[in-house]
Amino acid sequence: MDKAKSMIDKKGASGPFHVNNGQSQRGFHSNGSCCSSNTFGSSTGGSNSSTFENMHHVHRGDDAECNGSPAKRCRLRRRTESLRRSRPPFPWFGMDIGGTLVKLVYFEPVDITAEEEQEEVENLKSIRRYLTSNVAYGKTGVRDVHLELRNLTMCGRTGNLHFIRFPTQAMHHFIQMGRDKNFSSLHTTLCATGGGAYKFENDFRTMADLELLKLDELDCLIRGLLFVDRVSFNGHPEGYYFQNPSDTQSCVKKTCTLDNPFPMLLVNIGSGVSILAVYSENNYKRVTGTSLGGGTFLGLCCLLTGCETFEEALEMASKGDSTNVDKLVKDIYGGDYERFGLQGSAVASSFGHMMSKEKRDSISKEDLARATLVTITNNIGSIARMCAVNEKIERVVFVGNFLRINTVSTKLLAYAMDFWSKGQLRALFLEHEGYFGAVGALMELLKTTEDP
Amino acid sequence: MAFNGHQRDDESINEDETPTEQPQSNKEMPGCFSNDPNNEAAASAGRATSDRRTSYSTARQRSDSVKKTRPPFPWFGMDIGGTLVKLVYFEPKDITAEEEQEEVENLKSIRRYLTSNTAYGKTGIRDVHLELQDLTLCGRTGNLHFIRFPTHDLPAFLQMGRNKHFSSLHTTLCATGGGAYKFEADFRMMADLQLHKLDELDCLIRGVLYIDSVVSSGPSECYYFENPTDPDRCIQRPYTLENPYPLLLVNIGSGVSILAVYSENNYKRVTGTSLGGGTFLGLCCLLTGCSTFEEALEMASEGESTRVDKLVRDIYGGDYESFGNMMSKDKRESVSKEDLARATLVTITNNIGSITRMCALNENIERVVFVGNFLRVNTLSMKLLAYAMDYWSKGQLKALFLHHEGYFGAVGALLELLHPS
Repeated sequence: MDKAKSMIDKKGASGPFHVNNGQSQRGFHSNGSCCSSNTFGSSTGGSNSSTFENMHHVHRGDDAECNGSPAKRCRLRRRTESLRRSRPPFPWFGMDIGGTLVKLVYFEPVDITAEEEQEEVENLKSIRRYLTSNVAYGKTGVRDVHLELRNLTMCGRTGNLHFIRFPTQAMHHFIQMGRDKNFSSLHTTLCATGGGAYKFENDFRTMADLELLKLDELDCLIRGLLFVDRVSFNGHPEGYYFQNPSDTQSCVKKTCTLDNPFPMLLVNIGSGVSILAVYSENNYKRVTGTSLGGGTFLGLCCLLTGCETFEEALEMASKGDSTNVDKLVKDIYGGDYERFGLQGSAVASSFGHMMSKEKRDSISKEDLARATLVTITNNIGSIARMCAVNEKIERVVFVGNFLRINTVSTKLLAYAMDFWSKGQLRALFLEHEGYFGAVGALMELLKTTEDP
Repeated sequence: MAFNGHQRDDESINEDETPTEQPQSNKEMPGCFSNDPNNEAAASAGRATSDRRTSYSTARQRSDSVKKTRPPFPWFGMDIGGTLVKLVYFEPKDITAEEEQEEVENLKSIRRYLTSNTAYGKTGIRDVHLELQDLTLCGRTGNLHFIRFPTHDLPAFLQMGRNKHFSSLHTTLCATGGGAYKFEADFRMMADLQLHKLDELDCLIRGVLYIDSVVSSGPSECYYFENPTDPDRCIQRPYTLENPYPLLLVNIGSGVSILAVYSENNYKRVTGTSLGGGTFLGLCCLLTGCSTFEEALEMASEGESTRVDKLVRDIYGGDYESFGNMMSKDKRESVSKEDLARATLVTITNNIGSITRMCALNENIERVVFVGNFLRVNTLSMKLLAYAMDYWSKGQLKALFLHHEGYFGAVGALLELLHPS
């Protein structure tokens, strides 16, 4: 199973990470100087912020990664200049338009020279300022500051990667804003994935004169995931798992990186669920899906409890007791169903008590919310487990915004994988949960302008 | 877990027993289940009786020994599930005048009560259309009745058992299902009855194999749907479960169990899901205010789930997601109870279908039999399952159904009474 090794140990880098990254990888530039990296994580042993800051101070802009002889610096400069010519113009966005949420990643360059700043067009500046000086946009837009990746180098530029989300329902407002800020005049390609890239394509064109470059959501998901894991989360591993998930007392969160990530079963829990078997960066298949996903949880919760948002639903669920709602094995057997190893506490029939009027009158909204959460989560866990067994894969990675701020589900999934497989399967989670599609879209933007 | 009728006293039972594998010609003739060459095809119980009498002299020794090993009447099989109690009752039709004279009063009263009513109390029901007539079991000929009532009303049933002095009949009550364990003490205390507890999956399989083999007249027990998605052309077709193995058996009750059956005695529980019939009914009651399964199905038949679910085209594209539209307040206000009932039915059914398909793939089994009372009067779910199996497997998997749906556990329990394994 994964150990909490830092990626540096594995790659044996003693210098900046990107220098070693000679292999060409999907979405990455083979040219070492413009590969994406987080130099923060590049120092041996622990990350040393002061070291980095020094580097950053001394080497601004393209030369940030230059260490070494003048000749080497000169060669690197030529390469970065040719890259600059093929770099897409700012702003750099990646968009994932899902069924419920739009995920946006925005690269904010922090290595802007005085000269560049002068040349910068007004609306570009205004976009940058608007996005980076706010953490909320309109009524429903949110920037997940805690997820920001700082001092990332992408395509030869250094900057911060910001993670923004807003409900897909507010898409028209967003497009409107794009029009108001004359986004189209920036002649930038807008790389978008997710179903909405198809659904809203026309709206982008007619309302804001913007052309979307539509990308496959699963391609982007995998690409983005591998990228973030590789660059790590500001020096910390992106991934984590739970040790002793079956034991509430000693259950503890542990970090890890996706060392030798393949094969992995990737379970993307968004509005709906997709399950992929990933054998390598370029080789994966969609095993199955289920229609009972995050959208079901939220939709049912809204109907049953009158709540309006995901946060409200989770809040209620955290306070409820699903055993008042679900029929457990012990409710039917009076105890365990030993013959087939089913404990009395296992759920035999979700919502099974709700056919009784007395029981309906005695439960609370919180109980209903909890039961909904538990039912959806366990169903996903069960299906994921069957796929893992089917595909003979031991590592199951769960992503998607259903897991955002949702420790109940995360722990349930960890427990389910562990318990039902008798420890054979391990559930892994990633901090950037639902943003990988958007990251993958951004990488596609940068890749398409790569030096041939 | 051996097949009925062939474990004990094989020689004595064979001739009088309803055989498991019948020669083709016999199968066509109603009432004829015996291999005994002296027995002509008998359409009525009376004829069967006289035939038996004729052959009695030659077979008396054998049938006497059978009589000694036959349990006393009444013969019941019980399956106490999470939601419903299923009861099968064997009503002997070959009672001789002598026997009738000796019969104790309460036994007679039980027989009369059960067979002259089709409803019991407020919630008990006898599914007359499922009755199997002129069955020969353990040397006796009679009708097999199928009765159900909510597990919730078990106390009333126990009370009745006490009032009718059931315990004085010294009969073993073979019971399966979780309730056989849960209510064991109640049976003892309230009605002085000892339950012989049996495993529900053992009974299920035994019951399925038995019923399929004995149903010889009228519609075949097993059937499938041709053209499940075309309402104009969708039609039920009989299916013979000969060489049934391997079989994937999906039992949809309150919850769901999925079994891979390799032979009569060799099966395993592959997996299960807690999203079953109980979920459908529970959610429906919450969302629509209905209170019974029949009401819920009625509503579902009138609704349209597409207003509730996010369809592929709603998002994309993207994934179809159940109840996804319900996150939006205006959408919530525009759907009807019927739509919600429909969406619930479709969601639960498709989830079961999806999981079943994965199991079939995993286990390399092409034939899937769906049983359980979730499918009772629920053609919508059956057709959905038929469609799903066919479509997603590109015709590789076939969905099969059985008329006696949720009663197989109880039948298996009865068989255990008559032919203990």
